[in-house]
Amino acid sequence: MSGAAQPGKVAMPLAEALDKLARLEQASKLEEADDLATRMLAAMPEHPHILQLAGIISYRSGRVAEAIERMEKSQAISPEVALYPRNICEVYRGAGRLEDALRAGRRAIELAPGDSRSHFNVALIHYERLELDDAVRVAEQAIALDPDFAEAHFEKAEALLLAGRLRAGWESYEWRFKLKQAEGMLPQTEKPQWEGQTMEPGKLLIIGDQGFGDCIQFARFIPWAAMLAPQPVVACSAELLPLLSQLPGIGKIVTRWDDAAGYEAYIPLSGLPRLAGATIETIPPAGYLAPKPALAAQWGERLDRLIPKGKKRIALVWAGRPTHKNDKKRSLKLSQFAPIFARDDVIVLTVQKGEQIAQAGGYYGHAPLVNLGPEIEDFLDTMAILQHVDRLVTIDTSVAHVAGASNVPTSIVLPYAPDWRWLLHREDTPWYPSLRLYRQSVPYQWEDVIQRVAADL
Amino acid sequence: MKDEFCPCGSGLRQALCCAADMTLWPSQEAAALLDDKAAEATKFFNEKKYSEAEALALKILDAVPNQRAALRVLFEIRNAQKRTKAADALGARLARLPGPPALRALANGQYAQYLVAQGRHAEALPFAAEAVKAAPKAAQAQHVLGVVFTETGAVLAGERHYRRALALLGAEDGMVLGNLAWNLKLQGRLSEAEALYAKALALRPDNLRGTGGLAQVVFTKGERARADAMLDEALARWPQDRMLRLLKIMAHLACQRPREALEQLGPPESQMPPELLARGRAFMQLGQMQEAISAIATARTMQRERTGLVYQPEALRAQVEQFKAYFTGDRVRPLPRAQTGGFTPVVLLGFPRAGSSLLEQLLAQIPGFAPGDEAAPVAALTQAAAGLLGGEYPECLDQMLVGEAEHALERLRDMYESSRHAMGLARPGVRFITDRAASNVWHLGLIKLLYPEAPVIHVLRHPYDLVLSNIAQDRKLEGNAQAGLPGLARYFTLQAEMIRHYRGQLTLRYLPVRYEDLVADPVAVVRRVLDFIGVKAQLPPDFAANAAPVAEPLPAHFAGREAVHGRAAWRFKPYRAALPNLFSEVAPILDPWVRELGYEEQGA
Repeated sequence: MSGAAQPGKVAMPLAEALDKLARLEQASKLEEADDLATRMLAAMPEHPHILQLAGIISYRSGRVAEAIERMEKSQAISPEVALYPRNICEVYRGAGRLEDALRAGRRAIELAPGDSRSHFNVALIHYERLELDDAVRVAEQAIALDPDFAEAHFEKAEALLLAGRLRAGWESYEWRFKLKQAEGMLPQTEKPQWEGQTMEPGKLLIIGDQGFGDCIQFARFIPWAAMLAPQPVVACSAELLPLLSQLPGIGKIVTRWDDAAGYEAYIPLSGLPRLAGATIETIPPAGYLAPKPALAAQWGERLDRLIPKGKKRIALVWAGRPTHKNDKKRSLKLSQFAPIFARDDVIVLTVQKGEQIAQAGGYYGHAPLVNLGPEIEDFLDTMAILQHVDRLVTIDTSVAHVAGASNVPTSIVLPYAPDWRWLLHREDTPWYPSLRLYRQSVPYQWEDVIQRVAADL
Repeated sequence: MKDEFCPCGSGLRQALCCAADMTLWPSQEAAALLDDKAAEATKFFNEKKYSEAEALALKILDAVPNQRAALRVLFEIRNAQKRTKAADALGARLARLPGPPALRALANGQYAQYLVAQGRHAEALPFAAEAVKAAPKAAQAQHVLGVVFTETGAVLAGERHYRRALALLGAEDGMVLGNLAWNLKLQGRLSEAEALYAKALALRPDNLRGTGGLAQVVFTKGERARADAMLDEALARWPQDRMLRLLKIMAHLACQRPREALEQLGPPESQMPPELLARGRAFMQLGQMQEAISAIATARTMQRERTGLVYQPEALRAQVEQFKAYFTGDRVRPLPRAQTGGFTPVVLLGFPRAGSSLLEQLLAQIPGFAPGDEAAPVAALTQAAAGLLGGEYPECLDQMLVGEAEHALERLRDMYESSRHAMGLARPGVRFITDRAASNVWHLGLIKLLYPEAPVIHVLRHPYDLVLSNIAQDRKLEGNAQAGLPGLARYFTLQAEMIRHYRGQLTLRYLPVRYEDLVADPVAVVRRVLDFIGVKAQLPPDFAANAAPVAEPLPAHFAGREAVHGRAAWRFKPYRAALPNLFSEVAPILDPWVRELGYEEQGA
């Protein structure tokens, strides 16, 4: 493409170039967009909208400092454009600069009070700052402006749930299926959603709808559902099948919609707490999962051969699925667990899976580390291994739920504004008594968290 | 184009030489029609009338390019002229000619010897083997194959062929006995080697190499004064011999006698790279850093200019990429694992000069351990795996998922173990045999399958110290990495990347220990290693003296056995202070590793 900046080439009209730049960014053709933005900036370094778009492209390309610099400049040149503070608000939030984010978000509302998105952005920041009443209030303002704004409803739900207001939270939580990322989670069906009535055996379909962790967490409600609608069909991913099949009362478990035919109503697994009217006091107990005895024994022998005796066995998970919306907040680098590695009395057994497992290859800490991830086939292996460790140290990911559901002593490290299920201001959780919670005291700062974990081992 | 002379320099037309289609050549019967003429060329050659011999041989070969005797004459002439490319082409062609076994044995044997004389042992292997296949009762062919196997690291196979040669000779032969003694020395069977040398030297007192070999055996046994005296005596007899002189210099350096080494070396003007490198190490011992680096740099420049020695990483890099692509967690997980073997190998990893030999020496002092050093490495099993399973290694390992092939692992493990039995390593009372093969770094994937729970102890050392120490050594490394500091740094990177990959993709029983910690507190580090392996053992008194008796076989590095010392730890620091530019080229390559290995945190 010929850019306005290149001498000797036919210049494109500015409006056309800006349109092209925006289209490239929206189509996630970031390299191409970056190239065009650079050339346009070279020709017009003070043009606020070029700066703005270039900033967005920088941010999406992972160059946060450059993004902020460009977007701040854009805003300084055109301080009355509401879009600019609205955009930079999200970038500040992503960079962990919550004070700046709040200021920018409020400025965006000031400039465009009718923009529901700006209100939603501010609600997110209040959540991150653990100002939960404010988060609910501003989310409601966004909803008042746009009653079908699913993200705002969901944000409200998360704030209510995190505050421990579960009953109110469950109602807003139902909006989760209208979120863009929820598309395809539920079957295409004319059948109604179950409302908790009694049903004939085998006529209720329960759908493992959210991530692995959520499914494991909410699986405890399956026996309750089975009392009202006996022998329900449970549809879930293949990975969860061996775990969920341990729950009593299930008719059959399927991994394909086709195999679930014949049901008369359906319910997502994550909808069961609402129907059950779960409160903090009435959450069904953990301990509903257990490893297969033969597999546990096999892993026990294997670990005895692999691992020296006389040291505390600490299992470790340091990173989650990178595509998770909050992964940046919850995942660490292996090296950030250095205070644990410095201890003389521990041996580290990593039960990490996925691409981040490669970090184990660069570990040269003091404590011996055995990377078990490559030999772990599924959650059953993980659960079996965890029976033979003194403690699991983990981030907020599915393994924490496997450990909690099978009563394994666990230290879980949580971001300043955690996922709603971990509630606030407490070191324990009503969901899993074997878990001890270690929270960030400052957003995005893990040092003291890991030091506390290490000291308590 | 094919009428042009062949670029190999044979003097033949290209179409009748390297570009020829040998299937179109006349039969040997037809070629024999020119036997009389060829005999004439041979006669000229024997009478040292080389021009006439060459001219006639070229004419004959222009008519019949596979005339055996003419080829032979031309090969000998080109070899004498040191026209290596031509001699290579002619010798190989001669070896591949069809014919009766005796002639094939002769041609292959001669060509193998030609390659051996140039130190090209690996290339010689197929020809030496072909000679034995054609004439299994020829002692000379057995002897040459023994040499080839021994010098390519297949010492057990080498021993077998030496012994066959001796049996075929029917009488004891000083040369073969001497070579067999060297083979046993390489296996660490020092007492047997010494006895054989004694016999060999009695038969051939003029065996200079044997005399040097015996001195090395005695030195490795720890009898340094006796070895010194033997070398002095030999030098008095052969005062001009460079090899003996260098051995004496090495003995001085091993005993920390740098001044004596320098005196023995004499003036640097006439010195070749091995002597210059020894000079560099002598200055290092004296702490004369400028002089040390200057001597080493001169040696490396000379090697580069005279022999074209440069780092050639392409083959290594291709191997690393191939292994990285194959040995991933998902691909290895379903593969079978060998059942528990007769003993536990303890893999000692470490870049050359990292200190894995020191750790092996220290562990060898502990009951139940035997020092396996580089004996019969796992790398040699990759060929066997390809043969057993069919296909190229490592992809052939997939074949183990099919039918009965999973038992291939047990067969490979048995091969690994039987070689250690044959060398006397796997004897009663030995539970752990250390495996220090340098090639293990590439083969942790296969090791994982053979011994899923084998401890892997990785001796780390500051990367700057590693390249500094290696650059001073007269030791060939893979890809000629020893050619210079940048090559060493890149070679280090390749190894470190390979280890990082394996550790990320495989469940290894892996423990890193630092050389710097090992020399500062050997008892603590060895205890840590033993705890990791799961051994409860009493360390011998005065453990750090590193002088407790160790049963044979004794690896060659025992020749440098001495009390643990910290002289070489952090050596790069004063060098960097005195020669600020010494590491400037390698810093961008090594500094990321310095950080990853945790040396930066230690203020290095």
